[in-house]
Amino acid sequence: MTDARQSRNQEPPERPAASRPPAVSEYPEPPEYHPGSARPELNRPVHERYPQIRATSGYGDPRIRHTGPGPGAGTDQEPERSSKLTARLVLAMTVVVGQLWGLTVVIDAWMEGRTGTAWWGAGFLCLSFLVVLGLWLIDPKDR
Amino acid sequence: MSVTDQPPSPQPPAGDPREALHDRIAADSLTTRRDYLRIVATVSGGLAVGGLGVAGGILPRHGDPDDAKAPSPKRIADQLLPGESLAFHYPDEEDRAVAVRLDDGTLVGYSAICTHLACAVLWRKDRGTQGELYCPCHEGIFDARTGEVTAGPPPRALPKVVLTEQVDGSIWAVGTTRSGESIEHGLCRQLSEDRPDLASRIGCPAVKGGGAEAPSLGPETPGSRS
Repeated sequence: MTDARQSRNQEPPERPAASRPPAVSEYPEPPEYHPGSARPELNRPVHERYPQIRATSGYGDPRIRHTGPGPGAGTDQEPERSSKLTARLVLAMTVVVGQLWGLTVVIDAWMEGRTGTAWWGAGFLCLSFLVVLGLWLIDPKDR
Repeated sequence: MSVTDQPPSPQPPAGDPREALHDRIAADSLTTRRDYLRIVATVSGGLAVGGLGVAGGILPRHGDPDDAKAPSPKRIADQLLPGESLAFHYPDEEDRAVAVRLDDGTLVGYSAICTHLACAVLWRKDRGTQGELYCPCHEGIFDARTGEVTAGPPPRALPKVVLTEQVDGSIWAVGTTRSGESIEHGLCRQLSEDRPDLASRIGCPAVKGGGAEAPSLGPETPGSRS
């Protein structure tokens, strides 16, 4: 017979003192609760921790007219700037699509021996590039 | 110092985690619309340069000689039976071409380089009513009589190779045309400066009456024979 079986037949021994629930007074005092992190640099405000993440970053909310705090607060004081930038980008992409078409025309003209047409097409491509360059360079220089 | 040793890299100022954190966050730059505008402007400039390069002749054309001389006639076969084709190079080694004798005896020759993405064009007698010139890369199909595109993505017709057949049945390549160019125009373009006598013989308008010597080509009209 094993020792375990012997112990089952015997009277249950008295519980050791370590397994008994301790008295309330024996618990250590819990540390004082503080919201946030133990590292102070992580407890700064969100704007301070992530200066590139702003309330409306990535959005052109037309309701935002002023920087905060206060009514109409936001990051963009002039929402028309965002619209103009988007419009310039759309215009430039449209011109580039036209350039892609123009390049196919130039290649076809060259392959068919119409060299003059190919040079006119190349001129069209260069003028289109100047237009895109202008759209890029009229960006306000305050950023 | 061994080659695996790294030189000491500049460390951020110790004891200033805020600065390090700010630097790390500032390095995660987003792609803004201004960045896209700059990229679009760069692409536009590249397209403009590409257009200038194409118009300036950066793309090779079938039959364009290096020395601005008309290609010399080349014997490509002793004979070609109806329904058969022959792959050859004319006028230079990189100018792959195919000659086809149709079932009704018509002799045609084309560049064997597809105008879509420069794959090899094959003669498929079993396709279509009278056979087709077929590009297997993207299912491009060219008409066997005219070289025009009948199906698929190729943007232009195949350049022609002007063939002629001598009395003894031998097949000669005598000139090339560009995509969509007529055989007469292509021959006149190539021969008018280098061989005006031959150009006047075949009736080129710019050199009519300019030459007196008869050409030494075959008795038939160059390009096709019925």
